[in-house]
Amino acid sequence: MDIKKIVDIISEDVPRRKSPIHRIVISFIIRDLKVWWTYKFWLILDIAGMILFVVTYYLFSLITTSQQIQEAGYMVGGYFTFALIGIAFQQYVHFAVQSINESIRDEQWNGTMETILSTATDFKIFLLGEVCFSFIVSSALLLMSLFVGLMLGAKVYATPASILSVIVLTILLIASHMDIGILSTGVIMKIKQGNPVTWAFSWLSQLVSGVFYPLKLLPWYLEWIGRIFPLTYSLDGIRLCLQSGKDLTSPEILNNVINLLIFIAIATPISIYVFKKGYDSARRDGSLGQY
Amino acid sequence: MKIENLIALFKEDKPRISSNIIHVWAVFWANFKIFLSYKTWVITETISTVASIAMYSFMGLQVDARRIILAGYGEVSWLSFALIGVATANYLWMCISRLSHSLQHEIREGTLEQIIASLIDMKSYIIGQSLRGFIVSGYFMLGVMIIGVAVLNVPLVINLSTVFSFIIIILLMVLSYAGISIMASGLVLVYKKGDPLTFLFASVTEFLGGVLFPLKYLESYPALWTMAWLMPYTYALDASRRILLNGATLFSSEILKNVAILIIYAIVFIPIGLKVFRWGINRIRYEGTVATY
Repeated sequence: MDIKKIVDIISEDVPRRKSPIHRIVISFIIRDLKVWWTYKFWLILDIAGMILFVVTYYLFSLITTSQQIQEAGYMVGGYFTFALIGIAFQQYVHFAVQSINESIRDEQWNGTMETILSTATDFKIFLLGEVCFSFIVSSALLLMSLFVGLMLGAKVYATPASILSVIVLTILLIASHMDIGILSTGVIMKIKQGNPVTWAFSWLSQLVSGVFYPLKLLPWYLEWIGRIFPLTYSLDGIRLCLQSGKDLTSPEILNNVINLLIFIAIATPISIYVFKKGYDSARRDGSLGQY
Repeated sequence: MKIENLIALFKEDKPRISSNIIHVWAVFWANFKIFLSYKTWVITETISTVASIAMYSFMGLQVDARRIILAGYGEVSWLSFALIGVATANYLWMCISRLSHSLQHEIREGTLEQIIASLIDMKSYIIGQSLRGFIVSGYFMLGVMIIGVAVLNVPLVINLSTVFSFIIIILLMVLSYAGISIMASGLVLVYKKGDPLTFLFASVTEFLGGVLFPLKYLESYPALWTMAWLMPYTYALDASRRILLNGATLFSSEILKNVAILIIYAIVFIPIGLKVFRWGINRIRYEGTVATY
């Protein structure tokens, strides 16, 4: 064997053609789909769990009154529609907050983090690819839970204007919660265990953002804390659109949109800064791939 | 050093004979120490528990009190009705998922092989892990009850006989599900993936057991109604509510009926669970997949 030839071949500088971003992202989606498909029983359980959750709140709604819901300005559908919207749109909260750090934790856990980072794939594209599949799954579960709810008698205003407004509010919901997800990923990359940011955020927003009850039922101090959370404005806006037929032209919805934009404007630079700090620090001490 | 002496020492056939009680204690204590080292987890779970009770208390403000009478426990508040449901459902979920969760950890961390290769009898392992589960879940259940009674002024009938009766019902409830828990663990050993069985049981239990709403509302759905009364949890929850809301005791006729049903479930399911578990252990030994993940 001519060793010189081998050395020449290895030394050859053949620049890798850059794959277009969409192809990389699609590869990630296909990879995650394949992994997901191997857990068919879990897939059935995810769907069954979601249906059971919606049906539980349907049965719970049978012992509730609609008075507080109507007083809060949500005119049709009563408690069940109110709770259904809370349950369904929480899918996106979970997706936005958890998807990035869960993906990174999985790669660390399976010992594949360093392998991925040593490929030509850019870290930002890697993160984008990792969250895309979670987004598709969350959207499917959201639509399914809304469908089950509608089958059980939930009532919503479905006009083009109200649906368009819901889409805008949903985008803002995802963007605002993505900031929390990015921030907590930065923390996780450094401390490696637990997830204090996500944890505190999840239970506090469940308690004070009006997922299962109108904010007016809370004592003033909790209601005040609730106004810090983006979920409060997103859910209020979405409910006003779907339960009262309002749209982006109404002042209440605009107020919610402005509050969400303010949150995003403040939280985005902070979360990117924390993420960068955590990422750089983990790279510096060589612990990015460690669990 | 005389090498012959060393060889003789290694050759010495001195089997370690320790009783099963010591094995159970060793497994329990090792895992309990791990639990104690997770201080952040304990703190965060405790705060989450408090938050969830606060959440239920706000949900209760929307309930029409007249509709709760349908549950058959007299004029009780929804919060007291739900508090017992949530506390027992969480306890059950934590207890029955404990064993399969710890086995998953052993598999992931690569320590299952050492456990199987050791002299510890798997029955002792199961009991030790379950004991740890009872105590840790008991801490959270007690927390729920204390916050309910002391902070939210939930009117529960608390005296020596009701507390004793409630503890017995909880023990029977766990025993009636122990078979399913052991069965799920056997499946985890073989399939190495999660424990869908306990997850499924937890979701169905919470839904059909009537944790948040009176079961009376399921009467119009005969299939669901029948399924609800096929689950041991429904009997355990009914007995717990009769004890803590109405002051019934273990010797009240309606409680005795529930006790008998729970015992039957325990007698039927525990041997089946042990059989599945033994099958799981034998299969991974035979296939040589004890250490694989």
